[in-house]
Amino acid sequence: MKDAQMRATINQKLVETGERERLKELLRTRLIECGWRDQLKAQCKEIVQNKGLEHITVDDLVAEITPKGRALVPDNVKKELLQRIRTFLAQQSSI
Amino acid sequence: MSLNGCEHLNSFKAAFGSRSYFIIHSCFVACTSAEARRVKAQSCFCHTCKHRGLRVHACLSCVYFGCYGEKHIQNHAKSKKHNLSVDLNFGTVYCYACKDFVYDKELETLAKRQNKAAAASLAIRRQFAPWEPDQDEIELLRRNPKRRRVSESSHIGLRGLINLGNTCFMNCILQSLTHTPILRDYFLSDQHHCHMTANPQQCLVCEMGRLFQEFYSGVRTPYIPYKLLHLVWTNARHLAGYEQQDAHEFLIAALDVLHRHCQGTNGISYSNSHHCSCIIDQIFTGGLQSDVTCKECNNVSTTIDPIWDISLDLGPGPGTTAATSVASAATVTTATVGDPVGAVLGVASSAASDTSSVANLSPASGYTNSPSNSEPTSLIECLKRFTRPEHLGNSAKIKCSNCHSYQESTKQLTMKKSPIVACFHLKRFEHSTGYHKKISTYVSFPEELDMTPFMSSSRNNSNGYTNQIVRESAISLSCDNKYSLFAVVNHSGTIESGHYTCFIRSHKDQWFKCEDHVITRATAGEVLTSEGYLLFYHKQLLEYA
Repeated sequence: MKDAQMRATINQKLVETGERERLKELLRTRLIECGWRDQLKAQCKEIVQNKGLEHITVDDLVAEITPKGRALVPDNVKKELLQRIRTFLAQQSSI
Repeated sequence: MSLNGCEHLNSFKAAFGSRSYFIIHSCFVACTSAEARRVKAQSCFCHTCKHRGLRVHACLSCVYFGCYGEKHIQNHAKSKKHNLSVDLNFGTVYCYACKDFVYDKELETLAKRQNKAAAASLAIRRQFAPWEPDQDEIELLRRNPKRRRVSESSHIGLRGLINLGNTCFMNCILQSLTHTPILRDYFLSDQHHCHMTANPQQCLVCEMGRLFQEFYSGVRTPYIPYKLLHLVWTNARHLAGYEQQDAHEFLIAALDVLHRHCQGTNGISYSNSHHCSCIIDQIFTGGLQSDVTCKECNNVSTTIDPIWDISLDLGPGPGTTAATSVASAATVTTATVGDPVGAVLGVASSAASDTSSVANLSPASGYTNSPSNSEPTSLIECLKRFTRPEHLGNSAKIKCSNCHSYQESTKQLTMKKSPIVACFHLKRFEHSTGYHKKISTYVSFPEELDMTPFMSSSRNNSNGYTNQIVRESAISLSCDNKYSLFAVVNHSGTIESGHYTCFIRSHKDQWFKCEDHVITRATAGEVLTSEGYLLFYHKQLLEYA
């Protein structure tokens, strides 16, 4: 199977079973616990204050914060999520 | 952020109502049935590029899904003049005329209800919701306009404690408790509701709450914990007076009184204590599993006892009589039922107020806790020794429930349930018949500890009941048993007279040394090379029940 196709199949499985929602909730919890959410919130505030509320759009903010946000996710959170996805896929015999 | 939407959303709602939003939200954002999830899985892709990206939006006016990132939905909005779309990930509404997300009270309420139902359908117990202050809280915030910001360099939470006459044993425990992250969160979020309504001044839990308030008030002068000392004295008589006391004994006594006051009872025993859900038990209680294997028939009898701390033997192996730390939770051990061999060995309570009822059915001593001669030099070695199968000798035969005769047996202790805060007590004070001495050997301990090898699920059992599932789950759960060091209590001097100090961790990795009213900065190196007496570890990951 091609990569993109595989990706789509996995995504579908995750949505279908509700696992995606569970993972989302877990990720949210972990990111709050490790302070990621607070960090990002503070950075967003800073960006808005620097540029001025009138001169900033959601798109600007997303463009600026996304790479920072990705980089700030702790490795062990990524590892845990990956492990959970692996375990989930191992249980799905049809893929 | 206003909850009044925008003019475009309002005119859309006036013309078409909120029905289309509801349909999109319940079918593609928060599904409440397996069928809906199946449809969602199949149909949530961009109609232009067929991609299942992260930011696919649905047009609110017609059936069209498009990527936000690739501007497909924007192009659609422009060409069709359909100004509103719904983000399929979060259910938020975007207005292309305003170029911003818009929030409408009615739609928000609808989405919130739908999200709740979706979580319930997947048995997700606790869904995250940002804090929304209620009327009382808004009023409180209004009346207290000063906000305190906690930064990396702030010293908030650090406060010295005046020595009230040989009370350093208490001060170091109070410092350790006030820097226990999850206990701090409990008290600072005001979750304690006093059960001693008749006499709230007598409640030690309330007093702890006041101590936390004092520590985090920002005041820099040392605090005088006289009320707390008095409360402990009145509730744990054996600690009263100005003599030097053992910090470990104080810890156990304090936990016991706190545990009792959480219940609102005053030392009256209660039948349901085995399943106590008070904050002390939630944080400190672990489950110690004891497996006694009959040498004759290999029958294993297992008991699980609640413990508040783990006492570890130092010094050379044989000869030390084992008083395993079941002692600590003695008030709770009474409920050990269905225990044919009475594996509650060595229940020598220091703190229990109702020891009389402790079931001490078995030959309490006479076995050795450690088959090896060597002195442990690290915490890991101590734990290995603690969880090693040990031979209960000829003199300690136990009646086997299977072959109904007194037989020699082996016993192994493991952790069935790891507590949120693991407290290790290195038994530096030896009280044997005829002599008392202090063991000052250096015992190394790590900043990060993995308890997995000492869990019951990792138990290497020769009787063949370790199956693959048990081992696999142990591996997959391994990150659940990782701990970080956050407080160390040290004792200097001799067994007759000495002084207690402690190291506590603030923020993520800043260490401070607390010596009564003096607090100085310390390095992790100093902490790890100190002669630890009590070691406090905190779980790195919490599971929410």
